[in-house]
Amino acid sequence: MILTPEVLAILILNAIFAFFGIIAFVLSVRIFLAWDLNSVSQSQYILEKQSFLTATIIKYIFVIKVPLFLFFIFTLDKISNVLTGAMCAAGVVDATVYGTYLFMLKILNIYIFAYWLVLHNEDIKHENQPYTKIKFGIFIVAFFLFISELILEGIMFSSIDIDKMVSCCGTLYSSSATSAISSIFAIDTDVLLYVFYGNFAFIILFYFLKQKYLFAISNLVFIISSIVSLIVFFGTYIYELPTHHCPFCFLQSDYYYVGYLIYALLFIGTFYGLVTGFVKNSKENIIKNYKISMLFNFLYVILLSLYPIVFYIKNGVWL
Amino acid sequence: MKNKINVYLIEYAINAILRQKSKSFFIVFVFTLLTFLLTSVFFITNSIRYELDSTVDTLPQIIVQKIKAGRHYDIDVDAVDNILEIAGVSDAVARVWGYYYFANAGVNFSVVGIEQYENQYKNSFDKIASKFDLSEIDSKVSMVVGHGVKETMHDSYYKEYFNFIKPDGTLKRVNIAGVFEADTQLESNDVIVMSKDTIREIFDIDESKATDIVVKVANPEEIPMVVSKIKLIYPDTRIISSEDLKVSYQNIFDYKSGIFLALFIISLFTFFIIIYDKSSGLSSEEKREIGILKAIGWRVDDVLKEKFYESFIISFFAYTLGVGFSFAYVYIFQAPILQNIFVGYSQLKTSFELPFIFDLQTLFLVFFLSVPIYIAATIIPSWKVATLEADEVIR
Amino acid sequence: MIELKNITKTYELNKNDKVVALDNVNLTINEGELVVLKGASGSGKSTILSLIAALSKPTSGEVIVDNKKISKLPDNFASVYRRDNIGFIFQKYNLIPTLSVKENIILPLVPLNPPANEIVEKLDRVAKMFNISHKKDAIVRNLSGGEQQRVAIARANVNDPKILIADEPTANLDEKLSLNFIEILRELKALNKTIVIATHDPLFFDLDFVDREIQVHNGKIIL
Repeated sequence: MILTPEVLAILILNAIFAFFGIIAFVLSVRIFLAWDLNSVSQSQYILEKQSFLTATIIKYIFVIKVPLFLFFIFTLDKISNVLTGAMCAAGVVDATVYGTYLFMLKILNIYIFAYWLVLHNEDIKHENQPYTKIKFGIFIVAFFLFISELILEGIMFSSIDIDKMVSCCGTLYSSSATSAISSIFAIDTDVLLYVFYGNFAFIILFYFLKQKYLFAISNLVFIISSIVSLIVFFGTYIYELPTHHCPFCFLQSDYYYVGYLIYALLFIGTFYGLVTGFVKNSKENIIKNYKISMLFNFLYVILLSLYPIVFYIKNGVWL
Repeated sequence: MKNKINVYLIEYAINAILRQKSKSFFIVFVFTLLTFLLTSVFFITNSIRYELDSTVDTLPQIIVQKIKAGRHYDIDVDAVDNILEIAGVSDAVARVWGYYYFANAGVNFSVVGIEQYENQYKNSFDKIASKFDLSEIDSKVSMVVGHGVKETMHDSYYKEYFNFIKPDGTLKRVNIAGVFEADTQLESNDVIVMSKDTIREIFDIDESKATDIVVKVANPEEIPMVVSKIKLIYPDTRIISSEDLKVSYQNIFDYKSGIFLALFIISLFTFFIIIYDKSSGLSSEEKREIGILKAIGWRVDDVLKEKFYESFIISFFAYTLGVGFSFAYVYIFQAPILQNIFVGYSQLKTSFELPFIFDLQTLFLVFFLSVPIYIAATIIPSWKVATLEADEVIR
Repeated sequence: MIELKNITKTYELNKNDKVVALDNVNLTINEGELVVLKGASGSGKSTILSLIAALSKPTSGEVIVDNKKISKLPDNFASVYRRDNIGFIFQKYNLIPTLSVKENIILPLVPLNPPANEIVEKLDRVAKMFNISHKKDAIVRNLSGGEQQRVAIARANVNDPKILIADEPTANLDEKLSLNFIEILRELKALNKTIVIATHDPLFFDLDFVDREIQVHNGKIIL
């Protein structure tokens, strides 16, 4: 069990999330089952009022959740000082079996919540509120993911053992390790870079062709190819160390917190990319989403490409 | 999201806050007090931890103590040579030191022995070795003391020398050769430096024994390895590395501030209830106001947004105020009263200033423990307000 | 322009006790018409106003304004409809006393967050029209009754709505102010606004510019 003030703060907020989440869940189920915009009954009228509360709660959770996610990583970094062997958040994530799942779940949930909000914004633009049933249906599913995230987080913090030695990111993210993560090092770097830049080229291509489904799918693939290439290739240039692959260390002050910028660009870029394909939208909105997605993906690629280029200019060699 | 910030709505929200003077004042007062207390606790622990961390940093990387029957026991000086042979060890020194209780002033001194030709394991001792002629200290039976120590002795009219009482009851007179510059205030109030021979005489320690052995390792990464090797050669020892110390300090302080946090949660919960209650109890005035707004075309979402602005502005204002007060309280006024709770661990009568540590994370931590919780408490009341029947205004 | 078709509105006080506020009401109001709804308090005339303004929904029947069925609009859209089409003049002005004249008048515009020049433009138009320009920065609390009344009317007109709704506008006014109000009403009528007034003040009866007087009694319209 580890109970630093930071962990306690996260747990308190989680409790609040759970409390409001359950309210939103109950209301969502009601709305999902009984929504009928044409009815003039009192119960429909109450449902309409309750839909405002539900939407407000979900907005609240999302708005707090995003900075809290950064705080979560911050906290893991701090806990890593206490855990023997860990140098950054990666070690803490690896300290328990739940860490990796929790992390993936958190990212997934942020995507889902953000998607929900886009859908909601689109929904309330129309008088007939076409997505009301769908959006509350989605929340019913999202609620279970969200609650499992909260539970998993509680379990993770309670099962971290301070006295146990954990792995440092240097061993987790290296080609000699045997974990699932390390299998990505088997991919040839050249191939990986072709995939990464090729993927980006497709995004540009579909951007100009305005093929929204292909654009969304290439964004989906881009999430994976970016993270893999970040770990295998670009990370080493951020650290200027050929052996250091950790996707967490550059979140620390030693690297000017550049990691937060990197992940923010990637998230916004790919998220709006996905939105173009998965949310029905007015024409101008679609174009706007295209543009946002393109801009952030572009900045992401530029930022990451700069690291090896600057390194090469400074040192005259590749790592 | 995409809309730019609505200045008029913010203006309206501020006006709404000001309109309800007593309610807003109450909320700001309680909220500020809570964040102030919480931030102060974190600031103090951070500063003390920093002070301790830098003390720990001046400590040797590894200390080897002999344990017999579960108690600390004098260790053989010969062990130094064996430890020096371990790969990675750059230096090992046998230390002779102890605590001397000076009954007159009711304080403990740390009496530390150094020798001319050995490497000093502490910066301040290096300074002593270069400033004073150690062989003279040795031959004249004298000592170098910290500032605080000198003053304590002065108060008992020991100006030129000090009489130590040996275990057999006889006195050992040691001259005060001078004062050294300490790295930390803890050190200045506590440390006396003299030759090992003199200490052996005062504490009656055998020539072949030492209090403990300190070990220096060239590469800090190798410390755990060296520790395990020493443990293998001398199974009867306790080995403390500076890393271990740091971790246990961190745990102690996290624990102490954890207790505070637990208290804080209770008060926060109370606060939550009060806020909920305050914002639910709508005056007919407020109901009328919302009615007007809806009648002239404000949407439920607009009212909700306005209510959100209200609670965000008021809570963020109180948060900033609390943090600001706590900055002044801790770093300008040195946290009277609260500091004692956290420094109360020692009988050394040491006093020290809280060093200024700017820690962004603490600010985030306090933020997450206050603002979102306040806003959460206002969600349901705001929603109730926003969905009020608007047609009441024209009935 | 405004059409109420077979409107019935009941309020549920509790499960067994219902109050019928309007009972099968049919009413058509043409564009530019000024209609006075007469009747004792509790007769249902305020309910008609709140239905036209989409502040409440009928239990059955339809309200159609400008060929748009407003009786079934979701809450947010009902607000938008009010903002764009309805100007409200309340019984007690219903201004926010601690705000300035300017802040009160632009209140309907606030959620839209329009650019500053648009706000200034709209504000100046109505402030000039209702002769309140010189007091723009005064706090409403410190104004005289007549000035407050003009501020309230300016606020109702800031969005240049097609329909004006007034609920007992003279109930709390002395005779001089009431006559004042009637003069303002005359000007508004000249601007071709559709105006619906619910009142039992005899001052409104038999005015030369009132197009129709409608008697409401026990939830029914008496022709």
